[in-house]
Amino acid sequence: MTAFMQFLKDLLYDSGKAFGLIYDGGHKIWAGFNLPPLTLDIIFLLIAAACAAAFIAINALFIIWFERKISARMQLRRGPNRVGIFGIFQTVADTIKLLIKEDITPKAVDKLAFFLGPLLVMTSTFMVFLVMPFGKGLIAADLNIGVIYILAVTGLTVLGLLCAGWGSNNKYSLIGGMRSAAQIVSYEIPNVLVMLTIVLLSGSMKLGDIIAAQPTVGYVWMQPVAFIIFLIASNAEINRGPFDLPEAESELVSGFITEYSGMKFAFFFLAEYTNLFIAGALGAVLFLGGWTGPVLPPFMWFMIKSYFVVFLLMWIRWTFPRIRVDHLMEFAWKVLIPIALLNLVVTAFVIKFH
Amino acid sequence: MTPVEILEKIKTKFPGVASTEAFGILNMETEQNKLRPLLVFLRDELNFDFMNFMTGVDRPTENIIEVVYQLFSFTTKASIVIRVKLDRTKPEIETVSDIYRTAEWHEREAAEMFGIVFLNHPDPRILLLPENFKGQPLKKDFRHPNMTPLPEVK
Amino acid sequence: MAEKLPASLEKLNTEEYLLNMGPQHPSTHGVLRIILKLDGEVIKDVVPVMGYIHRGMEKMFENRKYDQIIPFTDRTDYLSAVNNNFAYVIGVEKLLGVVVPERAEYLRVILAELNRIMSHLLWLSAYGMDVGAFTPLLYIFREREEIIAMFELITGNRLTHNAFRLGGFKYDVPKTFFEKLEKFISHFADNLDEYETLLINNVIFKSRTVGVGVITKALALSYGVSGPSLRGSDIKMDVRRDTPYSAYSKFVFEIPTGKNGDTWDRCEVRMNEMRQSLSILQQAMQGFPQGDIMAKIPKIIKPPAGEVYTAVEGPRGEVGFYIISDGTEKPYRVKMRVPSFSNLSALKDMTVGFKIADVVAIMGSLDLVIPEIDR
Repeated sequence: MTAFMQFLKDLLYDSGKAFGLIYDGGHKIWAGFNLPPLTLDIIFLLIAAACAAAFIAINALFIIWFERKISARMQLRRGPNRVGIFGIFQTVADTIKLLIKEDITPKAVDKLAFFLGPLLVMTSTFMVFLVMPFGKGLIAADLNIGVIYILAVTGLTVLGLLCAGWGSNNKYSLIGGMRSAAQIVSYEIPNVLVMLTIVLLSGSMKLGDIIAAQPTVGYVWMQPVAFIIFLIASNAEINRGPFDLPEAESELVSGFITEYSGMKFAFFFLAEYTNLFIAGALGAVLFLGGWTGPVLPPFMWFMIKSYFVVFLLMWIRWTFPRIRVDHLMEFAWKVLIPIALLNLVVTAFVIKFH
Repeated sequence: MTPVEILEKIKTKFPGVASTEAFGILNMETEQNKLRPLLVFLRDELNFDFMNFMTGVDRPTENIIEVVYQLFSFTTKASIVIRVKLDRTKPEIETVSDIYRTAEWHEREAAEMFGIVFLNHPDPRILLLPENFKGQPLKKDFRHPNMTPLPEVK
Repeated sequence: MAEKLPASLEKLNTEEYLLNMGPQHPSTHGVLRIILKLDGEVIKDVVPVMGYIHRGMEKMFENRKYDQIIPFTDRTDYLSAVNNNFAYVIGVEKLLGVVVPERAEYLRVILAELNRIMSHLLWLSAYGMDVGAFTPLLYIFREREEIIAMFELITGNRLTHNAFRLGGFKYDVPKTFFEKLEKFISHFADNLDEYETLLINNVIFKSRTVGVGVITKALALSYGVSGPSLRGSDIKMDVRRDTPYSAYSKFVFEIPTGKNGDTWDRCEVRMNEMRQSLSILQQAMQGFPQGDIMAKIPKIIKPPAGEVYTAVEGPRGEVGFYIISDGTEKPYRVKMRVPSFSNLSALKDMTVGFKIADVVAIMGSLDLVIPEIDR
């Protein structure tokens, strides 16, 4: 019994160990049936992928509800409060509505690009979760190039948005797609520079190592400037207000998602909010010490910290007016990048001479 | 400036313009060919720099269409109404949209509503009516199949 | 804004394209269509297309009796129904030679100024949306709701009030009205300051509006631009001051103006105008006289033959009625001078050279109401 309790405790506090037990045990049983071990590996992989997909979906639903609640509170409203307690199932109901809605493909679209757009966006966001350290040992693959992997994979989103913008055969979509491409490419640079600073500090690109190298309070106290730049740049990269130019409602109707409906629209929506979570999670991992923290299980700490950053991003979104496209570019190239670069150089000098 | 002063100033340059006064506003009539010089004079010499509106009035009994210009002077706070009487069968008048820019759209509206032809207008397209609309709705004898007369209440 | 390309890039093959904004578009605020000729994001030409909700108001006026026209004026500019009533009613009263009792004049001024604040508040919230700030809208609607409740108390309607009658008002003011008005006046100035910090003085907001959509004094006058849009260009023109109507000559108020004629100036002018309206409301409430609310007017309204042009200062600018009477029960011709019509005509000169996002900002700063343009 105590062994089982220990297992449960491990599952919460040291998931890696618990999963190792499951994995080894499974293989032992599998070997008893004389089956090739590779098949079990594939089964485990599928289960893990299904878990990740389920997590993404449920998490996105929760974040959407969270945002609606938060924005409502900021705007003297109540927000969803009819479906379930505190309206928590409102987003579920919305999703069901989206799923059973007609998936309209306009006549004039470029079918391949139109179809590829949401798929690429969704895939690239999905792939980030491969290296996301949810808790101690709760990580699919702690790649030694974790940071670079994340940057490379999130960069793919541009392709999807461009596909959607071009394939929709709509001028609003096209402008939206072009804007998002320019925006994401520009804001990737300060983001890279900021992450480089963190890599310099921790001496590793492995996300697990970055978490381990952080002092208990996180890098945010050592790198406040970097944290602010990270917040701004990642906010811009996930196309949210005040940087929501690609889908600027009052200008471009809905930007690159103007022509989408039903499931494809849901994909964009899901990707947007998952990206929001990824930005929050990265902020938590790079600046707030990831899953480390007292008493509560690591997974809980990871979620709390991620949601804190997510909350900051929402706060920004619901407070500011939208920035203009040329100011946006100027801000990236003339303000953020020089500051990030300076921050990097100063950090490098401090590390070298301390 | 009082209407009398304005009238005196105008009479020095344009003798023989007919005028009346109503509710403290000078109300004068001029001819087609004198309109543009008069407006330029009013704008440049008497500071009538603001055109409130310009419109047409259909008078089938006298077989004329009046074109009415209402001007306002920001500096002297005076108003003036200028009207030109056009032949109803062939209403044609020079545009004043280069003197007052706002006249451009007002003239487009008057053109489609009264069938007035504004010569040398920079953009003589229709403004408010549907593209395939027939007739000039603000003329008194305008009839449309969809029009139903209002029931008379006794 | 439109920077010249370096010589090496001149040969690059670029193409201008047309973008249809509207008739259904989130930020044209109604059924207005704007054809934009674009080079990338830079505007080369602007062609407004309207008439989608042309109802032939002026023709309808000709077929109605004088008192039946008042509800129609509500529906041209539904956001400033009272001021439209005002312009029409004082025109007919001038023709009739009716003197309206002072109490009615004061109540008219109170309603007109409340209406101005209401319209400006809606503009502010919608303008926030135009530039991408959603949150101010819901704050502003608190105060707007208070004003609407006051209107409901007096007229029974929330939007198209049909408030005025020829000669005054049908019913006297309910007692609770002044309690509500007093409460509103007591906190509204603070709210305005709050919105000014929240939106108008926001850094991003300023970066989007300062220097955008500039219109010079001379051009604005020539285009017949009126109201806050004209005063943004540093022209102190206000019908309430220039040709005082009703009881306006009895109140002390400033005419706020901008400096450069850009979008931000127009916004700031509107904000300051609300403060001035508030002071007029205060004065009118303090000096609210006793007496009749309705003048003696004949049962059958037959103004003597003649013509009159009366204008009032609406929230968007000069609202005027040119009424020609031929001595019958129905007007011979009524021409409505609407501010949005002239204001929109200046759009092209304001926008060319700016970007798509600026078109939205500039159009919003003109505070257009489309049914008013189409009539």
